[in-house]
Amino acid sequence: MAKKEDIKPQQQDSNIDKKSKDEKLPTPDEGMMWVRVYSPYQSYFNDQASSISAVNETGPFDILPKHHKFLTLLAACELVINAKDGEEKIKISRGIMYVKEDRVTVFLDV
Amino acid sequence: MRHPTDIERDKKSISTLVELTGVFEGIASMRIAQIKNQVLQATEFFNDLWGIYSQLRVDSLFRFGRSQSGEEVLSKDLYILITAEGGFSGDIDQKLIKAMQKSYNKDKHDIIVIGHHGAMQLAQRGISFKKYFKLPSKDKNINVAPIIRYVQQYQKTTVFYQQYISLMVQDVKQIELSAAVQQQGEDSEEKDKKEIITADNTIFEPSMYNVIDHLERSMLQIAMSQLILDSKLAQYASRFRAMTASHERAEESQGDLRLEYNRAKRAIKDQRLKEIINGMRKSKAAA
Repeated sequence: MAKKEDIKPQQQDSNIDKKSKDEKLPTPDEGMMWVRVYSPYQSYFNDQASSISAVNETGPFDILPKHHKFLTLLAACELVINAKDGEEKIKISRGIMYVKEDRVTVFLDV
Repeated sequence: MRHPTDIERDKKSISTLVELTGVFEGIASMRIAQIKNQVLQATEFFNDLWGIYSQLRVDSLFRFGRSQSGEEVLSKDLYILITAEGGFSGDIDQKLIKAMQKSYNKDKHDIIVIGHHGAMQLAQRGISFKKYFKLPSKDKNINVAPIIRYVQQYQKTTVFYQQYISLMVQDVKQIELSAAVQQQGEDSEEKDKKEIITADNTIFEPSMYNVIDHLERSMLQIAMSQLILDSKLAQYASRFRAMTASHERAEESQGDLRLEYNRAKRAIKDQRLKEIINGMRKSKAAA
């Protein structure tokens, strides 16, 4: 199960107005990505970030803006998100990461 | 007629019962609201996963996440019964077992039962089951992985569960598990925008088939958890209904007792008054 190191109130979609009808996540600012980390019953992060680091079967990796479409199974690790207002660390046991057009969705506990 | 002090005692215990049933009614209604909220959250999560899975699918077959396992699939079908843990679930578990018995054939079906009450009911009917799981007491992060491991061994799995329709109506339902996954997915599918995810346009790690298997297992787990939550919702609603009925009955009894108490007090007063008047008459006559 995912554990958040720095407990913060659940973040809402601050850029909700930016959401277009066809997109699940809002459009990020230039040079940023929109990252959403959540499990079936809890949201851990939902905001813009400049990078996200995780670990999969191959080893540690980083996702930066303009990354190619990417779908991977995550290993137990600490997700490190470089958010606008500082670094966020989320411990995870397993998950799935999907990267598409500067939008990163991390499904936890699956 | 009973003495007012006796009635007063009964009145106090009934008022405790009124308060207790009111509290239980409140708790049940709170749990219903919580579970409904969780079901909604999990549905959103499932829809997002399904969105990816439906773009990935190479064909329309749902393989229960076992395409890479190479393990042999049993020719029997699996029945999963989701019942209550305790005995305060009314007759809905009996209805569930009766519904299952309509199609059950011990040579063709294996049974897994969730909930102690269902296991007891099956044992009383002489129906053997392969495995019993306790109904999870918590409503979040239900670990259904051990159940899914059984599901993956069978060619087909049917789940019998209690469905919440409204606070006053709960029903017994059966659904094929892969159909449950697909049905949930189809509900969410936006058919006009379908982009295919292939190895040509996406990087997969470890591999596309491993990811598909994992997604199928995950969606089975979520669908199974949703069915368990749906059953729990129906059970809480059933409990809420029972508590509402008890609360109303207790309030009626409280009203009856209040009336009886006032009558008893009035009777005593009348009796005293009669005694005083008689006493006065006698003293007047004596004078």
